[in-house]
Amino acid sequence: MRARRQLLAASVLTAASLAAACAKPPAPVQEVVAVRTAVLPAAPDEAVWNAAPEHVAKMIPQDLVEPRLLAPSTAEVRIRALTNGETVAFRLNWADTTKSDTPGPAQMVDACAVQIPQQNGPQPPAPQMGEIGRPVDVVYWRADWQAIVNGRGDSIRDLYPNAYVDPYPFNARPLVPGSPEQADMARRYAPARALDNNRSGPRTAPVEELVAQGPGTSEPAAPRGSTGRGIWAAGSWMVVIARPWPQDVRDGQRTSVAFAVWQGSQHEAGARKMRTGWIPLLAGGAR
Amino acid sequence: MARVYNWQLGRDMSYWYPEKRPQRQFAAVFDTNKCIACQTCTLACKTTWTSGKGQEYMLWNNVESKPYGSYPLAYDVRLLEQLDGQRWEGSRYAGRTIFEAAPAGERVLGWRPEQQDYSYPNVGEDDCAGQVDHGALIQVPHLSWFFYLARICNHCTYPACLAACPRGSIYKRQEDGIVLVDQGRCRGYQECVRGCPYKKVFFNPMTGTSEKCIACFPKIEQGVQPQCFVNCIGKIRLAGFLSAADQAKAENPIDYLVHLRKVALPLFPQFGLEPNVYYIPPIHAPLAFNEQLFGPGAGAAMAAYRGAPADRDLAGLLCLFGSTPSLVARWRRRGDLVSGLDEKASEIVRVPLLEPVHVRPAVDPTRQVVRTNCP
Repeated sequence: MRARRQLLAASVLTAASLAAACAKPPAPVQEVVAVRTAVLPAAPDEAVWNAAPEHVAKMIPQDLVEPRLLAPSTAEVRIRALTNGETVAFRLNWADTTKSDTPGPAQMVDACAVQIPQQNGPQPPAPQMGEIGRPVDVVYWRADWQAIVNGRGDSIRDLYPNAYVDPYPFNARPLVPGSPEQADMARRYAPARALDNNRSGPRTAPVEELVAQGPGTSEPAAPRGSTGRGIWAAGSWMVVIARPWPQDVRDGQRTSVAFAVWQGSQHEAGARKMRTGWIPLLAGGAR
Repeated sequence: MARVYNWQLGRDMSYWYPEKRPQRQFAAVFDTNKCIACQTCTLACKTTWTSGKGQEYMLWNNVESKPYGSYPLAYDVRLLEQLDGQRWEGSRYAGRTIFEAAPAGERVLGWRPEQQDYSYPNVGEDDCAGQVDHGALIQVPHLSWFFYLARICNHCTYPACLAACPRGSIYKRQEDGIVLVDQGRCRGYQECVRGCPYKKVFFNPMTGTSEKCIACFPKIEQGVQPQCFVNCIGKIRLAGFLSAADQAKAENPIDYLVHLRKVALPLFPQFGLEPNVYYIPPIHAPLAFNEQLFGPGAGAAMAAYRGAPADRDLAGLLCLFGSTPSLVARWRRRGDLVSGLDEKASEIVRVPLLEPVHVRPAVDPTRQVVRTNCP
């Protein structure tokens, strides 16, 4: 009898999931609507994303400050958003026929970012990285960090499988492999790591939290627990970026959000990027 | 862009930031005529600074055989092709610098080496400029020639890497003019790699940041010359500080060679960076080639160097190269002895203008045997 009840419950859940998955997605909207949901999806390909209406954001090249991106690449990014009231998750979907997740000289990687003003107001700061005294919060995701989180190792052979490498000084005796002394020595031979540069790895998350007050000013932000996950398939990226819901925006209110995309195959990095302007972000839209 | 003065061009030029010269400028003189391409400098640097993960391909110091050698591949030719019309009117540069030739939307005229361009650090090694046919005789000037060009970061007065960085991660130290990448701030956009015409900034794929020659600043701060200088077998290098062109002091060895005797010249001054490593041109290479590399002063510099045997001051100062690990702030010649002094005018080294020569007769008259040099 107990087994029957469990089977029945499972059947009801499956039917509900299928119904959600097969339901016709809401029509595209002119703003980003963060739909309320009890549990936020971690993966970009979960069916629950269909509950959120899609906003198709047209992208423009960053052409305000040098170095500019003069050749447009990513034409649009498709956005969906879900929130549980505490966290808001965005799913960015853009076409990119080349998966670029291996860094190297002249080898840029695919990336995207979500930007929200630190303080909500009728006039958001400049859409390009904010302005002095009016900062923006940015969560930045990178394809190579995703590869590391997915299991890519922290060695040059993980980037260049056929590389021959002389022994590193920090692998020499009398340093004991895996010892704290060896780890300390290895950090000395990786200057950016020795200075705790967020960029330099090794990484446990594919995203980085930043705060900026204008172009070229991004700095590491106090940790807010943002997460991310990206999947490349069939010539497009789907990336989920989740961050705390802005505390000064209540249900039914609006703030602003902007997005940026970098295509590694087009040598896009830093200021050379495709971006959107500010887009209204509606909190807690009905499901 | 701001207007700044570049004494190597003899004119003002455009630069991304206003002119702000350091309190003193790290500088060096390399005598190309003495380099034997043993690469000891390269290894001294490599083992000191770039033996970590992601630094495998980096050569902050390299020695390339000119005319064909280059690292990364064709770094010089690639830019020279883009920067056409490099015309000098006397000692004044009438062409455009890489800042003045920057395309719309760019801060400098640059290009980005691909990974393969770093795969052949010894390309062109010992290759002559021309074919040595069977039965060819040595002629003067040489039909076939090559020379070795040792290169480090030039710690330029107007660094293109610094200008190209959109987030100000590269800075020039006020105390000594050394140009550094802030490893805490760099985000690995590789704009500096693209912008530096000498390609002396390298991207580290393991840390995601760009790295470059630091002129061994911990040694400079202790009054000691960098690793690639003190380990130089051929004693071709001398490190020091260069004064402004209108404040040159004869007692300063770098000033004497660069500003007063003009025997040491910048590499590709036409790029406009005011580089601070100065080269005594190879006297056996064609003048036209030397002028392209070192500017219109190449002919006079070659003549001065050729005249060194009869020029006791110039010859004397050249004897100080590689004679001491310490930075030589001043120098003086008294008769046949040349001294290097520190900043407090204390003597740190004394060398003879001519090494004593001992001639050992080929025949030992006592033992009635012929000496040989065989072991």
